[in-house]
Amino acid sequence: MSEIIATLKKDYIYNLMVKGKRQDGRGFKDFRDLKLETNIISKAEGSAKVTLGDTQVLVGVKLQTGTPFPDSQDEGVIITNLELNPIASPEFEPGPPREEAIEMARVVDRGIRESGAIDIKKLCITVGESVWIVFIDVHILNDDGNLIDASCLAAIAALMTTIVPNEQQGIGMNVPLAMKEIPVGVTLVKIGSKLMVDPSRDEEAVCETKLTVVSSSDGSVAGMQKMGSASFTEAEVLEAIDMACEKAAELRELYLEALVKQE
Amino acid sequence: MSDKPEKLITDDGLRLDGRRADEIRPMKIEIGVLSRADGSCYLEWGRNKILVGVFGPREAHPRRSQRADTAVIRYKYNMASFSVEDRSRPGPSRRSIEISKVSREAFEPVIMAELFPKTAIDIFVEVLQADAGTRTAAINASSVALADAGIPMKGLITSCAFGKVDGKIVLDLNKDEDNYGDADFPVAMTQDGEITLVQMDGHLTPEEIKEGLELVKKGCKEILEIQQAVLRKKFETPMEELAEEAAETSNTENEVVETGVPLEYASEVAVVEEVLKETKEFEDAVSEEISEAGAVTEVVPELDELEEIIKEAEAGIEEETIEEAIESEIEEEAEKEAEEEEADFEASFEASFEEVSEPDEVEELEPEEADFGEEETGFESEIEGFVEEEPQPAEELQVEEEAGIEEAASEETLESEPEVESEAESSEEAPAEEQVEAEEEPVEELEEEKCEGPWKVVKDPSESGSRGEKDE
Repeated sequence: MSEIIATLKKDYIYNLMVKGKRQDGRGFKDFRDLKLETNIISKAEGSAKVTLGDTQVLVGVKLQTGTPFPDSQDEGVIITNLELNPIASPEFEPGPPREEAIEMARVVDRGIRESGAIDIKKLCITVGESVWIVFIDVHILNDDGNLIDASCLAAIAALMTTIVPNEQQGIGMNVPLAMKEIPVGVTLVKIGSKLMVDPSRDEEAVCETKLTVVSSSDGSVAGMQKMGSASFTEAEVLEAIDMACEKAAELRELYLEALVKQE
Repeated sequence: MSDKPEKLITDDGLRLDGRRADEIRPMKIEIGVLSRADGSCYLEWGRNKILVGVFGPREAHPRRSQRADTAVIRYKYNMASFSVEDRSRPGPSRRSIEISKVSREAFEPVIMAELFPKTAIDIFVEVLQADAGTRTAAINASSVALADAGIPMKGLITSCAFGKVDGKIVLDLNKDEDNYGDADFPVAMTQDGEITLVQMDGHLTPEEIKEGLELVKKGCKEILEIQQAVLRKKFETPMEELAEEAAETSNTENEVVETGVPLEYASEVAVVEEVLKETKEFEDAVSEEISEAGAVTEVVPELDELEEIIKEAEAGIEEETIEEAIESEIEEEAEKEAEEEEADFEASFEASFEEVSEPDEVEELEPEEADFGEEETGFESEIEGFVEEEPQPAEELQVEEEAGIEEAASEETLESEPEVESEAESSEEAPAEEQVEAEEEPVEELEEEKCEGPWKVVKDPSESGSRGEKDE
């Protein structure tokens, strides 16, 4: 993802940053317009689409039965995959996932797994023999920056609206997927010495480095990942964590808690 | 895998391996261990064993990967299939690709790549033995190897993880703590404390993270001192002295023995080496005598006879000794007589089978020596294995070059990850197939839980049931 960016544009974004402004007039702590739609793919057990500015991410959740891992015989399995679809950007190519895609998938997965978002014990059908496997497939439809936050949000929203198809397996009624936590990922970019949330594509291209923080509803951190080739100071890391937790709480309240009430 | 210990931290604040919360595992670094690499480093950290080779700056292949304004830094983290409890499938996994990426980015701020446009700097990491914290160990080793290769850097990178175990923040998790702890937080930083790698999984509050970062700074400082000491030792030695040293230790076997001894047995090394030396000397002396005396095979039947004679004699001596001791109550005398007897006996059979009695002793010694021999060759083969694997990437690149087709690269990767295609296809086009897959996949997963199963793409060992890096 090394799109060539004009030095002029880089200077422009830097100069704006010094004045405390951003290209599209947002503040450093403002997200772009965010739209969350759920249950848009009826064939999937759960689905959600997030539109963040011009970024579009679609997540479909499929459930299948399978064998548990030998060391966690009474637990379901979570599998996350992320596709950088060639339709999303001229830079994306068809073929096996590149390291960016693998990294993003693993960050999304880590947030969901480590926060204990899914009650995986309830996905067990027969101990040691049969469990539900939750496939979270993230499709990037349009890349206008900050794919990770959109992916995290879409993934958790899709999971929250997922129905476990017990009837299909003849093991009782269909029930909503048991959720315990709502992790939200927030990515901060460092431009100059400033941190800002929800980078646009241009900001991502000129930024020195990014830090994604996935936090839970109790304000604790479930996963972190630094991406990009510059460094953070310790103070910046701590500041980023605070900013991320704050923004995550906002997003959770605005968009996700409504999904819980629906149930 | 062992079951979860009841307590990971004892009541007196010590961890299972006896460390305090703020202590790192013992670390040993050697540099210049690979002759063909431009820079190399072997690092042991606790039970982790990491070998790093650095090549470059060298021409970047394929040429489309070249950059006109800077060198391309390539970092390949690879786990040997035997490095973990359950064999890991060779080749890149999703986990190793991610680690390679973040580790490369950890070095990009310090490597002065802009000095070498159009070149590549390759860092190849082989994890020979894994015991939690391999990515941090690999970064520490790579840092030293880069310096060994003479790559201009603004400073060394050091890396260390902290985590939460039994509710307590501790430095440098070991395997059990990683498996059963509550969080893992690897960090890499420059000498000035700029953070160049941050990853985290688990459950931590912002306050705990702050506390942990303080611990990590302390840990990194200690590691930096070890790294610097090793580099100083190599590069501060005057050239004449080095040449002398090289002449003295030209025997490469000695080097291998040194590196082959695990850190935890370091104190025993001296003793072992002494025994080895003595055995060798003795063996040489004996073999000379044997060769003088003639064929060894003839000795064998006679040896049995000899042993019987010795046993009889010994029994006799013992009986006599006891009897005499009881009768006269003078032990010394008894011993003397026994000794005399023995001496007589020895003299008599030495006279007849002079060269035979000694091979007997040699046989006793040999098994002991064989043990050390095995240990030695064990490591040797590890190293050899690595050295043989090493040139692979270069070969791949050559193939690409020759073919001159971009597809060569994608085909290659496709081959190694065929699951990508099948996964995507099945979920989009063939629901029937999907069903079949669903039944098949988990079975294979059982077999290769820690390897890359058919869901290489969607699932990898570190993401399975329990905590994060279970395969480290």
